[in-house]
Formats: sequence, structure tokens, C-alpha cells
Amino acid sequence: MSHRCSVWMLLSSVVLLAACGHVQEPRSVRLVQAAEFNQRAQHAFRQGQYQRAVTLYGQALQLDIAIEYVDGIAINTLNLAKVNQVSGKTAQAEQLLDQLLNDQALHYAPMHLAEAAVQKALLRLQEKDAVAAAIWAGKAADWCGPDCKLSGVIANVRAGIALRMNDGEQALFWSDRALAANRDVPLEQANALRLQASARLMMNAPGDALRLAQAALNIDKSLGLPEKIHQDLLLLAQAHERLGQDEQAGQFRQRAARIAAASVK
Amino acid sequence: MKLPIYSQKLLNIEKRTQRFMLGALGLMLLVLLMIGMKQDYFSRSTSVYFFTSNAQGLSKGMAVKFVGFKVGSVQEISMEPNATVRVRVSLNDEYLHLIGQDAKARLIKEALVGESVVEIIPGSTQVHQVTQDSVLEFERGQDAGAVMESLASQLQPILNDMRQFTATINKPDGDVQQTLKNLNQVTAATREMVDQLTRLGVSGNQKLDGVYLKLDQALDHANSSLGTLGKAIPQLVEKTDATLANVQEVTNIIKQVSQNSAGGIPLLVDNVNTLVQEGQETLDSVQKSWPLNRMLPKIEEQMLPVDGYVAPEKP
Repeated sequence: MSHRCSVWMLLSSVVLLAACGHVQEPRSVRLVQAAEFNQRAQHAFRQGQYQRAVTLYGQALQLDIAIEYVDGIAINTLNLAKVNQVSGKTAQAEQLLDQLLNDQALHYAPMHLAEAAVQKALLRLQEKDAVAAAIWAGKAADWCGPDCKLSGVIANVRAGIALRMNDGEQALFWSDRALAANRDVPLEQANALRLQASARLMMNAPGDALRLAQAALNIDKSLGLPEKIHQDLLLLAQAHERLGQDEQAGQFRQRAARIAAASVK
Repeated sequence: MKLPIYSQKLLNIEKRTQRFMLGALGLMLLVLLMIGMKQDYFSRSTSVYFFTSNAQGLSKGMAVKFVGFKVGSVQEISMEPNATVRVRVSLNDEYLHLIGQDAKARLIKEALVGESVVEIIPGSTQVHQVTQDSVLEFERGQDAGAVMESLASQLQPILNDMRQFTATINKPDGDVQQTLKNLNQVTAATREMVDQLTRLGVSGNQKLDGVYLKLDQALDHANSSLGTLGKAIPQLVEKTDATLANVQEVTNIIKQVSQNSAGGIPLLVDNVNTLVQEGQETLDSVQKSWPLNRMLPKIEEQMLPVDGYVAPEKP
């Protein structure tokens, strides 16, 4: 090791040590309070206490509005929309997203707008309005840019739209892209596999669909997502039916019915 | 000559005494009138009854309230041959039409430290109104003491959690303390090596290489220590978050209850408040203490993950 190199290393160490000694900037009490409400809401949401989550996100949002913390306003509005969507209040969810997307006064980060547009696309898709969903997915992609973390989610939404439009090839195209973009996000990876399985079924390839749905099922079981497991089992039943294996199809339907009966979200 | 003067004086005294007596009598009547009004002697009232297994908390003269207004009072408390307690309540006729036969009487405390009253819980107005000698169903409202005891029992496990949490951090052979010791050693070693480097600045590369090897080892050691701490801290943080959320929730309940009590705070509330304060102080000091104040992540507002899948109606 040369003398010069040693000196550089020493200097780097000093800089690193100085960085460790950095004192955090003090944050306002209201900002901390908003963050606390947000965290408690996250906790409530994870516990399935949606009403409580709505209240707490609402409180966080009020504080963010009061101090005009733009990122916080976007985050908590999106969270409120998400909780409303999950608890079946799609109209309220859409209203919240529209507030964010049509706000002329505040300038939100493109990432937050992309997220709002994705949620809007999902809601439109849920309402069987595939055309509007495609428009919002396009807007989301524009805000998102080529390498943003939402690109995998957007690809899955586009695959879902293609399926709704009975376009198996497009669905396969987008779900392939989603799978490639979501290697480290198990939830979206499973979504992509499930969408691929549906596309394969649409294209009369039940053998492939079987394999893909099984892979999705494994991931969903590891994540513990009852609704997704239910969907996977129904897909597996369909694939077996197409293969003429009625007995196995029946078994999968029975398993799916048991999960639906447990009705845990 | 002297007698008429004396008689005149006597007459005056008599008149004054008469006036005084009349005044006193008038005053007495006024007081009696006021007492009578207060005791509802001049308003028409109807007596109704309720039965209870024991007379605890009930007393003669106790106010009877309906939607917050005084509508009567407890007139008589007596024991029946079968050891049940019969309570006679007189209700002002003015409000009688609002109280159905299916109304209930409930013994409550108006506030946490307020006086007990009998509250009439309105029944259905469709049903006939109560009449003379009607019998109402009786129940006891939850006692404030019982509420506070339940709050205190909810708080106890939370505080135990916090004590455990603090103990985990302070445990001399625990992950956190051990890692901090290691880091201290590494810092000392690094400082020593920097000194040596300064001294050896011009004495040749061979010696320097040896020192850098040691420096590398020390830094490796530091990295592994930080790794251990990295594993230990998130668990502690998660526990703190959950505990803090619980404490805040219970504190809010207590604040609400305390606000409702107009007067002084009874011993139980005082105890519970002390418990909460103790807990919050413990948490605050843990969070502020070095090095946790640096290591605990800054609380940021977080976004819920988006799920890019919409289930078809029939997959």
C-alpha cells in the first residue's frame, strides 16, 4: 500500500467519523405528531382495524395540511384512499385521489402523482372501466419514468387491463415485464405469476397456467394473503378442468371455498 | 303623673315586640316555603318504586334525574320481608308523560367524584306512562372506581413491557451493551492507530502496512458489532412503538375520564396518572439516551404499499 493511498484512507476515515457525528436537524412538534399518527395508522391497518386507520390517517393529514407539509399531505391522502378502497368504499377512495390529482395549488412529487394514478387505474379496473384504467395507467407511467419503483406495479395493472379486454397476448407481455421488474417484491411477483397464469389459460395453455398458478400460490401462502390464495386455487381448479382432470379441479374448488368461508381479509 | 308615662313606654315595647315576632314569623314562613319548594311539597308528584338487592349508594333525598334534569327524589328506602330493598321515588307529574312503564332506574355517579343520583332511562313512549305505584326495573351503573381499576390493570402489563425493554438495553451481557463495549474498544484502537500513523508518517511503508492491517481488522470488528446491533435494535424499536401507542391510547381515555370529573381527582386516578407518567418518563429517557437517540430511526410518514392486482369476478 503506497503512502499516498494510506493518507487518502486516513482522510476518508476522518470524513466518515465526522459524518457519524452529524446532529439531526430538529423537526417541528407538529411534524413529529403527524408522523406518529401515521405510524399508528399503519399499525391499525396491518391489524385490519380499517376504521381506526381512517381516523388516524385523517388526523395526520390535518396536521400536514396545517403546516403545509406537501409530501405528508400526498402520503396520507394516498393512504386514506387505500384504506377506503380495501374497506370497499371505492367512491370515497376515488374522491380522495381526485383531490390529489386535480390539486392546482400544491405541487406534489411525481412519484406521489404516479402512485395516485396507479390507484385510480386500479379503481377504474375494479369498476370494469378498462379504457379509463388504461388512460390512468399511462399517466402513472409518465409520472413514474423508466426506472421508478412503481414500474413493476404499473406493468401488472396493464396486464390486468389487457385481461379485462380479453387480450391474452398483451396480458402475457405486461405480466412478463412485471415479473422481471418485481424480482425483489414478492407481492407483485405473485401478482405477475397469477396474471401470467390467467393469460395462459386465455391462450389455451392450461399446463403452463397450472405451473404458474402453483408458483403464485407458494408465494401467497408465504405472505399469508387469504384472498390471493383463494384466487390461486380457483385458477388451479380452472387449469385442471381444462386438462380434463375434474377430480383435482373439484378438490381445488373445495379448498378455495373453505378459504372464502373463513372470510379473513 | 308617672303612671301614664310608664304605660306609654310599656305600650311601645309591646308594639315593638309584636313587630319583631311578626317579622320572625314571616321569616320562618318564608324559610318553610323555600324548603317546601325545594322539597317539591307544592308540586304534584307521583310515587313509583323499584327494588334492589342492596341499598348501598342509595339515600333518602337523593335526586332523581331524567335526561339531566331533576324530576324527583328518593322518598323512602325500606327493607322487605324477603330481604330485598324497596325504594320509593316521587316523580314530578310535569315530566311523567315522558317516562314509560318500561323505563329503568339506574344508580350512577354524575361525574368521577360527583354525587350519586338515580337516573331514569326513558323507555318507549309508545308504552303507557308510569302511574302511581308503578314498579321500575333497577340497575347499577358502572362504578367510577371499577372503571379506573380496569384502566390501571390495562396499564400494568404495558409498564411491565417497558421495564423489560429498559432492562434488555441495560443488561450488561445483552447484545446492545456488548456491542457498545466492542465499539468503544474499536474506537480506542482506531484512535491509537491514527496516533501511530502520525508518528510513523515518514518512517517507511513497511511499518505502515502493519498498522493498516490492524486498522482493517478493527474496522471489520466494528462492522460485525454494528451488524449485531442492527439486528437487536429493530426488535427493541418495534416493541417501543407498540408500547408507546398503547400508553398513548390509555392516556387519552384517562384524560377524557378526568375531564368529566369536576372536582378533585380520587386516589385511583392519581395512581393511574402516576403510572402513565412513570411509563412515559422511562420511555422518554430511553429514547433520549446515547446511543439510542442516534440509532432509533427518525419517525417518517410512510405510504401503504400498492397492490397492483384486481381480482376478476370469475378467474
